[in-house]
Amino acid sequence: GGTLGCASVAVGSPIVPLGSAVTASCTIQRELCRGLEQGKVRIIWMLDNKLVAGSQHQGPGGTEVSNLTLPRFNHTQARLWCCVEWNGTKQRIGMAEIRAGYPPAKPLNLSCILNLSDYGLTCRWEQGTDSHLPTSIVLKCAGSRAQVVTGCTPQGGHSHCTVPRRLLQLYRQMEIWVSATNALGTAESEHLRIDPMDVAKLDPPTLQSIQSIPFQTDCIALAWDVARGTEHMELQCELRYRAPEDPAWVLVTGIIGRAGTAQRCGFLFGTQYHFQMRCRRSSASALAYWSEWSPGRNYTTHEKAPTG
Amino acid sequence: APLTELSGDEDFQLFLQRNLEFTRKIHGDVAALQRVVCDTFQLCKEEELLLVRQDLDVAQALLEQCHKRTFQAETCFSQIRAGLRIYHGSLATIRDLLPGHAALVETLQLDMANLSSNIQQQMEDLGLATVTYPTENQDPLPTFSSRFRHQVGGFFILANFQRFLETAYRALRHLAN
Repeated sequence: GGTLGCASVAVGSPIVPLGSAVTASCTIQRELCRGLEQGKVRIIWMLDNKLVAGSQHQGPGGTEVSNLTLPRFNHTQARLWCCVEWNGTKQRIGMAEIRAGYPPAKPLNLSCILNLSDYGLTCRWEQGTDSHLPTSIVLKCAGSRAQVVTGCTPQGGHSHCTVPRRLLQLYRQMEIWVSATNALGTAESEHLRIDPMDVAKLDPPTLQSIQSIPFQTDCIALAWDVARGTEHMELQCELRYRAPEDPAWVLVTGIIGRAGTAQRCGFLFGTQYHFQMRCRRSSASALAYWSEWSPGRNYTTHEKAPTG
Repeated sequence: APLTELSGDEDFQLFLQRNLEFTRKIHGDVAALQRVVCDTFQLCKEEELLLVRQDLDVAQALLEQCHKRTFQAETCFSQIRAGLRIYHGSLATIRDLLPGHAALVETLQLDMANLSSNIQQQMEDLGLATVTYPTENQDPLPTFSSRFRHQVGGFFILANFQRFLETAYRALRHLAN
């Protein structure tokens, strides 16, 4: 604790669980306290600006000692002052800062996304209840067997950060978790065991052309390009379309991404349809993210040919 | 069990699927570097550089145990790792040649190191003997007597590496089928 040179304040622990007991002692060595050499020394305690009662006795070597117990410390942060009466005034001659809070809460809902433009892995989580104490949060990741643990540290109190590509192991399972540590303990989120590629967030495909093929039928042929940087991936895609007045989309699933073309029939003649497509890695796990839907593309089917 | 009998093993198949895609990715990035070499130095066709190549000492990793006739999976894996290490070192020549594309070269080297350690871990999971290479590659870099020969050397490093990747890819695919 802080001292004036003649008084020293000692606390059991500067950081305690909220609501627990706090003990402190203030020891005054009179010969070191200019102005206190004569007369009786009466030690007074203040918790911030509120008087609290201690018990005073003579200590070894002519020291005056006051012990204080606060049975339930309910402040998250407070200053414990050791004072003496001097010339009818209260003099603050020693101080100790005490903080109180909780062990860190378990970080929740950890999820990660791999950005394919720089292959950085951005993970997000929920911090949980405030511990009221300085808490260091680190995202940790390790190769499934490697002892080496790397990761990233969220900045500015955020609950997300990005592991750079050079610290990742692609195409292999990694273990990823959040660790929160303060003076009262450590808490870890659930451990994600994923291949970073399985949480890759793809850019959407680009619908290149839509045509009525074969001509004079209710079928259309679509052509698309997969997003740049995904050419080497096996993708599964979905197509959705609807006429402007239709409330619901028609969804076509299981389209092979690398095919680049697909045919679909059953369209109304002379009707404008709005088309969109999205893709994800087909070898990915259930964690895989779909790309956003591609920019929409309109196409009006041809009128039905007159019969007879 | 010999690797070839692991075709039904789920983990092994997952390893193969993942690293087939990884090899395609690396192959794509090497192709991108080849386009840069072509655009920058007008070195695009191998057949136009056969004469110069005879005098050049350019890295070439052979994958004899990965070819169909002599396929021996365990040795093939080791040869792939050894080759990745050789080309990992040789890419320093490319980085010197194309300072403006250092980021792509470094990403490529990172991917190659990852692919190698993926194979190493899989071999260890299968109880196969593996080599642990020192992190830093001590092999001396080739020197070239002229800037032109440096450029041609770079061209052939990439061309050899592409063939290497194609052979490795076929080997992985053979195991995956």
